[in-house]
Amino acid sequence: MPQVRIIAKNFMDMVASLPAMKLDSLYQNAYICEAILRSLPPLAKKYVVQILFFDGPVSGKLLEQWVLDDGVTKHRVAIDRLIQLRIFIEVTDKKRESSYKLNQTFQANLQKHLTNGGVLPRETMAATVKLPSSEDLDTYALEQWECFLLLLISSGQAEKPTSLSSSMMKIFQRGLLSQRDRDAPRLTEGGFQFLLMDTNAQLWYIIREYISNSEERGTDPADLISFLLELSFHVTGEAYNINTLTEIQRNTIKDLAELGLVKLQQGRKESWFIPTKLATNLSVSLTDSSSRKQGYVVVETNFRLYAYSTSKLHCEILRLFSKIEYQLPKPYSWGNNKRKFVFSF
Amino acid sequence: MTSVPSKLYSDDVSLVVVLLDTNPFFWTASSSLPFSQFLSHVMAFVNSILLLNQLNQVVVIASGYNTCDYIYDSSSDASQLGPENGKMPSLYSNLLQKLEDFMIKDEKLGKEQSQRAIKSSLLSGSMSMALCYIQRVFRSGPFHPQPRILCLQGSPDGPEQYVAVMNAIFSAQRSMVPIDSCYVGAHNSAFLQQASYITGGVYVKPQHLDGLFQYLTTVFATDLHSRSFIQLPRPAGVDFRASCFCHKTTIDMGYICSVCLSIFCNHHKKCSTCGSVFGQAQSDTSSASDLKRKAPET
Repeated sequence: MPQVRIIAKNFMDMVASLPAMKLDSLYQNAYICEAILRSLPPLAKKYVVQILFFDGPVSGKLLEQWVLDDGVTKHRVAIDRLIQLRIFIEVTDKKRESSYKLNQTFQANLQKHLTNGGVLPRETMAATVKLPSSEDLDTYALEQWECFLLLLISSGQAEKPTSLSSSMMKIFQRGLLSQRDRDAPRLTEGGFQFLLMDTNAQLWYIIREYISNSEERGTDPADLISFLLELSFHVTGEAYNINTLTEIQRNTIKDLAELGLVKLQQGRKESWFIPTKLATNLSVSLTDSSSRKQGYVVVETNFRLYAYSTSKLHCEILRLFSKIEYQLPKPYSWGNNKRKFVFSF
Repeated sequence: MTSVPSKLYSDDVSLVVVLLDTNPFFWTASSSLPFSQFLSHVMAFVNSILLLNQLNQVVVIASGYNTCDYIYDSSSDASQLGPENGKMPSLYSNLLQKLEDFMIKDEKLGKEQSQRAIKSSLLSGSMSMALCYIQRVFRSGPFHPQPRILCLQGSPDGPEQYVAVMNAIFSAQRSMVPIDSCYVGAHNSAFLQQASYITGGVYVKPQHLDGLFQYLTTVFATDLHSRSFIQLPRPAGVDFRASCFCHKTTIDMGYICSVCLSIFCNHHKKCSTCGSVFGQAQSDTSSASDLKRKAPET
């Protein structure tokens, strides 16, 4: 029995929690196989690649011999994970010894990948399209994301209107904000933690809510997952024609553009989308170092706090546990109230 | 030293520099494994490395018998992806094209200096290029994949490259880059055995060359992080024999300069490397101590 508890900490946990039928149908898509393989723990990856070209089942004892004595726990975690994701099918023989067999669709897809090499999910558009530079795209993604966060924590402050429906915003806000009768909504403890996470973790949280509520909107979560995973294999900063998408995907991509995952552009005849760094990093659990800015807050021992930032989001976050005293045109400066300060840290 | 910053990167991201032996003298003589088949094993292996993690990086360096060159770099590959190369995946088209260019260049250089009858490939050159590349990656910033070198060698060792190879090995050891080696030739390679032994890499001489891909993925696809808890082949024995500096032949016993540790197969009056004056071959104690006293001045 799998011993790993399912907490959807990242994309793959979410995939793992899908019912077996859906999971098997997901493996029809080669990109999903690839993304899932990449998300596995190193030892599990190694097992898969090692027995990729084996036809029959491999006994669990043999697998265990591949690791040293102190790696047994890692071995167990790897095997559990593989079974959980239905990559390994467990076969128990008469002597109650278990052996493992690779999921056939999964195996066939990866074999094909190894012999043919990786292929991109869809063709990029012709060079006639003017593409934004990668810096522009990064700033766009970040801006879009900050704007979304701002909207999330205080709906009144956002400069740009969003096309995300208010019901969807409510879903996102659930768990992050708590509203008592007539008071203004307040951030919960979970909400604070959410704001202090790095961009990728925040993004993941939102995407998870987005996927888990897709059924209410009449979309199959498996379709959505497969599309998001596929999206992460597109090349950042390249344009892809929007006509290559299905109806559902087209609806989804509009929402994703609001989050800054893709940039939508419209030409005279056709429109296209450009994946940003946020989209391509979605399936990896990698901390995004570039979005982490350092040293913009100074706290004095008298609980006076100075902050230098051009971001309205930072300003809003600080407002949550401090009282604004004065705000200078460029650097924002804040006075702090002791009680709240202690509370928030 | 280098593992501290790379912790921020996930543990198993690796940069594999593959040194590909393209020596025509070896491959035409090799009957058990034709070059084309060898290449297809290697390509599938390169694909599997790239498959394992999207940040993994593979660089292929061809070592010919006159020159060596980069023939594939997965980090610069993405920019060359274009619709113009039709159905052929970029790995194959780019690599094969560059390999062909390289072979032609190698052959041309060979004709110019036909008097030299060297049958071994330039391992030292490609090793140095790999180390240069890795140094560049180290200096590119705090986030970089964990590098390792994989030598796919078939042709016999060239004793004339002894010093250069050993220097490359020691600098790899200093920068903590393991050198893995897979030797597909007939006899064991002393160079590669020593290289893997000194740098903490793995040396394998596959028994069944048909299953080369399986050897490659089983042993050499293992990232450095996983190596701490995985069973890997242990060295059965390492050939530590050295080559002499004077005639470039492999020797069991020889003379060593006590100052600079240069190796000679017969007795010389003066060290050709550091210029120290030696005493008699069967020297008495006085002349030996004399040499020792003189040494620091030279």
